[in-house]
Amino acid sequence: MSKSEANAPHPRREPRLPGPLSLARLEEVFSDCVDFSKRQVYLHGDSRRRATVCYVDGQARSERLNDYVLRPLAQDPMLATAPESQLFDLLERGALYAHGAKRETELDPVVFALINGSCALFLEGRDDCLLFPVATEEKRSVGEPENEPALKGARDSFVESLRTNTSLVRRRMRAPELKIQEHIVGRQSLTPVDMLWIDGIADPDTVALLSARLDAIDIDGVEAAGSLEEYLVDAVRSPFPMMPYTQRPDRFCQGLLEGRVGLFADGIPLGWLLPGTIDQFFKTGQDRAYHWLVASALSVIRWLCALITLLMPGLYIALVTFHPEAIPPKLALSIVAAKQEVPFSTIFEVLIMLLAFEVIQEAGLRLPGPIGATVSILGGLVVGNAAVDAHIVSPAVLIAVAIAGVAGYTQPSQDFGNALRLWRFLLAILASLGGLTGLALGCAGLIYHLAGLESFGVPYLAPFTTGTRVPRGHPSLLRLPLPMMKWRDGPIKTRNRRNQR
Amino acid sequence: MRQSHTGDGPGPALLLPVVLALCLLLAGCAGLPTAREMGDMALLRTLGVDPSPAGVAVTGSTGPRARGLQGEGEAALTLEADQASLSAACLAMQGQTDSYVFFGYVDQLLLGQALAEEGVRPVLDYFARNAELGLGAQLWLVRGAAAREALSAGGDQGIDARLETLQKDGEMGIANLTRTAGEVYADLLELGCAYAPALSPAGDAALAETGYGILKGDALAGFLEGQEARGLDLLVGGSAADVAEVELPDNRVSVKITSASTKSRLEFQGDVPSALKITCKIEARLSEYQERPVGEGMTALQAELERQERACLEAALKRLQAWGADCAGLGARAGTAHPARWRAIQEDWSEWFSRVPVKIQVTVRVM
Repeated sequence: MSKSEANAPHPRREPRLPGPLSLARLEEVFSDCVDFSKRQVYLHGDSRRRATVCYVDGQARSERLNDYVLRPLAQDPMLATAPESQLFDLLERGALYAHGAKRETELDPVVFALINGSCALFLEGRDDCLLFPVATEEKRSVGEPENEPALKGARDSFVESLRTNTSLVRRRMRAPELKIQEHIVGRQSLTPVDMLWIDGIADPDTVALLSARLDAIDIDGVEAAGSLEEYLVDAVRSPFPMMPYTQRPDRFCQGLLEGRVGLFADGIPLGWLLPGTIDQFFKTGQDRAYHWLVASALSVIRWLCALITLLMPGLYIALVTFHPEAIPPKLALSIVAAKQEVPFSTIFEVLIMLLAFEVIQEAGLRLPGPIGATVSILGGLVVGNAAVDAHIVSPAVLIAVAIAGVAGYTQPSQDFGNALRLWRFLLAILASLGGLTGLALGCAGLIYHLAGLESFGVPYLAPFTTGTRVPRGHPSLLRLPLPMMKWRDGPIKTRNRRNQR
Repeated sequence: MRQSHTGDGPGPALLLPVVLALCLLLAGCAGLPTAREMGDMALLRTLGVDPSPAGVAVTGSTGPRARGLQGEGEAALTLEADQASLSAACLAMQGQTDSYVFFGYVDQLLLGQALAEEGVRPVLDYFARNAELGLGAQLWLVRGAAAREALSAGGDQGIDARLETLQKDGEMGIANLTRTAGEVYADLLELGCAYAPALSPAGDAALAETGYGILKGDALAGFLEGQEARGLDLLVGGSAADVAEVELPDNRVSVKITSASTKSRLEFQGDVPSALKITCKIEARLSEYQERPVGEGMTALQAELERQERACLEAALKRLQAWGADCAGLGARAGTAHPARWRAIQEDWSEWFSRVPVKIQVTVRVM
C-alpha cells in the first residue's frame, strides 16, 4: 500500500456490526467489556423456560431493570402457562412494564441500544431479541447560567444532557412547528447532535446546509465545543467566532424565534444559534428584560468598549510615540511627567504590559477560585504598583492597558472578546511600526477581514452591510421598544418576517 | 470536509500593491512618521520673539513639569537663540539641551514691542507654515519691553501659568480679550489691521495687562488702555465684564456690566458712506447700593451708565479712526447689509473709516 493510500480517509462502515443477531455474537462484541452483564432467569420459576437479559452496567438503571423487567419475568404466571409460540409476542406487547419494546434481529442496533441504556431480552432457542429502554437518567440538575447571570429573568441553564436541553426548549416553545432533528457525530463517541428550528420561520436552506455539514463531519469524537464549531463554520482561520452560543434557554428560544437554527450536542451544556452575525455577539439575555432605554444605552456602551479594547493600546502608542502634537497639552504634560525615568520605550512598555495582562488573566483562570483571585490581586495591584513606583513602567501605560483590558470584559461573548484581544496585539504592533498610519491600515485590514466572512451564507457584518435591498428588522446598536420591533432580520432569510401584529 | 469560502476577494498578488498604495496615501506620500519618546522631549509652552542685531532673538520656555527628563518641581527650561531667521533660531535651540525640543505645544506667543513695530507678518507666516507650531497659540504683545524680558520675569516657574490664567480669565470675561495668532493673522489679511492683548512686566515675576496693541498693516500702530481699551471691548462685543461706580443724589451705586452687544450700520448718500451708526446694548446688574434705585433714581442711573459707556466707545473710536484701523470689523459687519456698496468702498475703507462721522447709541438695561 502506498503512503498516500495509507493516509487516505477510510470510509465509515455502515452498519458498523453487520450480520444477524445472536447471543453468542453479542457476547463476542462485548468481550473484554467488564461493564457488560447478562442474567439468566426462569420464567415464573419454570426451569424449562429460560430467558437471558443483557445490559451494560451503569448505562441501565438497576431499579428499572429489576422492577419492570426481571420481576415480571420471575413472577408473572402467565409467562409459564402461555404457549411457547406466543411467549415472545406476550413479552413484546405488555407482559413487561417498560414504556417501549422493540424487536430486533440485527446485531448492530442491539449493540448500540445496550450502550444507550436498554436491556436486551433473549429467549432460549431464538436469535432475535426484545429491547426495553431502562436507561439511567443520572445527570447534573438544571442550575443557574454561570456565564450569563440573570438579574431579571429565568435562572435555568442548559446541562450536559441533550434531551434535558431539548425539553427546556420545548417547555418554552410549545408550538408543534418546533422541529428537532438528530444527527450522530463521531466515529467513536457517536454523539447525538440535535438541530432545532421553527418550521415556517427558519430558512429551510440554512437547515439543509447545517444538516449536510453535520453529516459530513467524520471525526473520532465530539469532546469539546470546538469539535463542532471548527467543522461547521465557513472560515476556520478567522479568530472571530461564527457560531454564537448561549447557556440560557430563554435566549436560545429568542434566537429560534428570530429565524435562526439551534444546535445542541450531547455532553456540551450550551446551545448554538446559526447563522452567526456580528450583532449577536453584543446582545445579552437581559436586553429584552431591561427598559429599552437602559438596554439601548448598555448596548452602545458595549460597542464603544469593543472599540476601546481594540484601539486603546495602539492609539496610545501612535499618539505618544508618533503624533504627540495630537494630545491635549495638559494630558501631554502628565504623560511626560509619568514617563520620566522609565528606561523602556513606550512601544516596549505597552506590548509587555499587554502580555503581562494576559499572563495574569490566564494564571487567574487556571487556578482555583480563591487562589486565582489572590494571583490577580498580587499581579495586578501589588506588582503593578511596585513597577510604577520603581519607574519600570509608566502609570499612563498601565492605565491605558488596564482600560483596554477592562473594556474587553464588557463583551457578552468570551469568544468575541478573545478575538478582539488578538487583534489588539496586532493593531498595537502596527501602530508601533507606522503610528496612526499603521493603525489605520490595521483597522482597514480588520474591516476587510470581517467583510469577507460569511456564516451559513449570511455576511458576518450582515446588520450593517446588507444595504437597502435586504430589509432589516431593527437597529442593531439600539434596542427599540418591543412593540416597535415587528420585523425579523432580513439577512438571515427568515420565511416569515412579521413577528407580531 | 468543506473548504472555507470567504468570498471571492482579490488574490495576494493584487492585494499587496493595493495595501502598499493605501500605505502611501495614508502617509501622505511621505513615508511613515518617525517615532520619538515623549519622556525625552522638552515641551516648549511659551515662545518669545524679538528683533536682534543678528536678525531675530527667540526665547522658549518649557514651564515646570514639561522638560522631559527633568524631575518634577525643577526649574523651567529656558532656551535662547539669536539667529538670522526664526527657523535657524529654532534649530539652534535644539542643540542647547539633551532633550528633543518639541514646538507642538507652544500655547503662548509673546512678541516684543520692538518686533511689533518692525512688523509681525514674518513671525505669523513662520507659525502658519510650521507643522508643529501652527496658529493656535495665544498672541500677546509685550509693551515697553522685549519678549525675552517678559519670559525671564517668570523666574524658575516660567510665565506659562500666568498666561494661561490670563487666557482663562479673558474667556470668562474678567480680563482682556485674548486672541490667537491665527485670529490676528486672519484679521491682518482680511481687515488690514488687528488688535492683540498687551502685557508688560510688572516686577515680582508678574505680567500685568496693559490694554490692547493695535496692529495696522503688520506693524504696531499704538496701544489702547483704560477707557479706550474698555471701548474696544464694547466695540468687538466680546466679554464686557466691568464694574461701574455711579454717584446718585444720596446714593452710591456699583453696577456690574454682564453683557454687551454692539451692532454697526453704514448710512449712505448715493454710494458714499455718510455715517457709521453704532448701537450698543448693555445689560448690567446692581451689585452694591445704599438704597435700591427705583423710578427716577433708576432712570438717572441708566442715563449715567449710558454716558460712561458712550465715553468709552468714543475714546476708542477716536484713536482707531486716527490710525485708520477698523480692527473691530465695524465696516465689514455693517457692509453685509449693503454688499454691493460695501464692495465698492471695501478697498478704501481704511480711509473712509478715518473720516466717516460716527453716531453712537448706547442702551443700558439694569436688572
